[in-house]
Amino acid sequence: MSTSNDILVRCRGVTKQYKKGETLVTPLESLDLDVPRGDFLAMMGPSGSGKTTLLNLLSGIDQPTSGTIEFDGMEIQDLPRRKLAGWRARHVGYIFQLYHLVPVLTAFENVELPLLLDDMSRRDRRERVEAALSLVGLADRVHHYPRELSGGQEQRVAIARALVADPALLVADEPTGDLDREAADAILGLLQTLVREQHKTVVMVTHDPRAADAAMRILHLEKGRLQEAAV
Amino acid sequence: MSLRVLLNLVPLAAKQLYRHRIRTLLTVAGIGAGMFLFSLVESMQQAVAGATEANAEDVTLVVYRENRFCPSTSRLPIYYEDEIRKIPGVREVIPIQITVNNCGASLDIITFRGVPPNRLPSYAPEIEVIAGSLEEWGRIDDGALVGRTFAQKRGLAPGEAFEAAGVRVRVAGIIDSPYPQDNNVAYVHLPFLQQASRRGLGEVTQFNVRVSNAEQVERVANAIDERFASSEEPTHTQPEKAFFAQTARELIELTGFTRWIGLGAVIAVLGLVANAVLLVVRTRIRENAVLQTLGYPDPAVGWLVLLEGMLLGMAGGLLGTGGAMGFLAAARITFGNEGQVLAVLADPTILVRGLLLALGLGALAALYPAWIAVRNPIVESLRS
Ligand SMILES: Nc1ncnc2c1ncn2[C@@H]1O[C@H](COP(=O)(O)OP(=O)(O)O)[C@@H](O)[C@H]1O
Ligand SMILES: [Mg+2]
Repeated sequence: MSTSNDILVRCRGVTKQYKKGETLVTPLESLDLDVPRGDFLAMMGPSGSGKTTLLNLLSGIDQPTSGTIEFDGMEIQDLPRRKLAGWRARHVGYIFQLYHLVPVLTAFENVELPLLLDDMSRRDRRERVEAALSLVGLADRVHHYPRELSGGQEQRVAIARALVADPALLVADEPTGDLDREAADAILGLLQTLVREQHKTVVMVTHDPRAADAAMRILHLEKGRLQEAAV
Repeated sequence: MSLRVLLNLVPLAAKQLYRHRIRTLLTVAGIGAGMFLFSLVESMQQAVAGATEANAEDVTLVVYRENRFCPSTSRLPIYYEDEIRKIPGVREVIPIQITVNNCGASLDIITFRGVPPNRLPSYAPEIEVIAGSLEEWGRIDDGALVGRTFAQKRGLAPGEAFEAAGVRVRVAGIIDSPYPQDNNVAYVHLPFLQQASRRGLGEVTQFNVRVSNAEQVERVANAIDERFASSEEPTHTQPEKAFFAQTARELIELTGFTRWIGLGAVIAVLGLVANAVLLVVRTRIRENAVLQTLGYPDPAVGWLVLLEGMLLGMAGGLLGTGGAMGFLAAARITFGNEGQVLAVLADPTILVRGLLLALGLGALAALYPAWIAVRNPIVESLRS
């Protein structure tokens, strides 16, 4: 069953280095990783082990120092900045720990943001935004501003924003890290639903073992290297 | 990036400005003040240009006493009229007695032009009577045909009387002319003005001459001055606009100087917008990185910043230039020198130019902030 078509993301020999003054930091070293389509992958590891760095590479907001990253059969590591932006808009949704909604915009307007880049009628936009918001269970909070929402609700809006352009891959960097247990469970449930019913592929970084339990697979990063553990 | 996408970004930029209402209002007020100044200066320059820049269709000459400037010192015998009329190329001549309340540079000049009442229509057929009537003016000895701007400034209507420079007249009509000077003065009967200002009936201040066509203007002017070169009262003849430029030269130099005020205002606007937008961009480094993460390309993020600058410029431009136009329309500013009067009018072309300039300044000032917004790697901006 394991044809290459079933692998959405394939990393080979991925290394990322940063210069910090005189010293060279290597948050990721010769990393190989396959993420099958429809996977819900949890990434754990101590702080500073390179988890965020890996998400940044998978989502194309950063580029590896060496190695290849294949997405749906296409290598993305050398795409120029401009093309990479267009690629992100179509294929990845990024969910942040602190939601990062635009405070002057309502839930609707925040979710609409990715669609403003398309030549799409206002009506089509509205339909898609409303669909995304009801998918995350916020159909009744459409015109609320972020400050009028709870943390859990804000994160749902952020998930709707990540979803609205219908990308295959969702990456989430500690999406429940700032939420209480109840809200966190709801968010994890939502991510599971998205994998199950919307056929999304999710890569989630988390510190929280309970959050990781919601995933189908858990990987451990240690000093920039992967250690797979069975679920 | 398509126009549609660009238009999608406009409301986003507007909402960002709305987020910092007080700061936006203060910035817009500052831009408005700068554009107000700029527009006043431009209006003044335009008034001067209209009165002094010769154009090819100008056919009016002014015959003045040589080496005299203030109207009260230019005295020419009225019989010169017949001599001037004989010169080939002259289409029409009219003797004019000028009386002013103040010969120096002033904001409050009242100029009377005394002309033979039956001759005004043929000399200046372009004059249109917009209130009262020409017949009425012909009938009453102390009647005045008051220029539109003059009448508006003093709130005069037909039937009313007013007194200035020791001359008391009754308004017989209000006139409108394509020549700005005519709109700023009051035409009265020549004999009446000569008596009222205690000047002899035999002399006038100047002759205005209409030449048959523009090519002959210079030749006719020379011919007139040659004709009277050895008379007791030699003349100096110039096109009307050159005459204006000469007699009002101090005033013109002064208004020329105000260019620097306009330039200063423009630079102040540039600085204001740049400062406001830069501040905003600095506080939104991470937010812009989030937009980039969502797939916004650098030009889209850059345009968002530019649009904010442009919206600020537009708002300030509307406030300042619009305010200046309103002010000019209400205050009806005229100023003058040696009997020449300039009206500073609210001109729609200045409104358009002011708005475009403000928009352009907004965009220009936001260029550097726009670059700041996209220059750093996304991951670095997200970590900030
Ligand atoms: N843009 C960067 N510049 C310099 N160093 C970085 C940068 N991004 C990450 N690092 C470094 O790489 C290491 C891994 O960081 P990160 O991927 O954020 O870890 P994690 O998310 O697992 O806590 C850290 O030591 C961090 O300081
Ligand atoms: Mg991290």
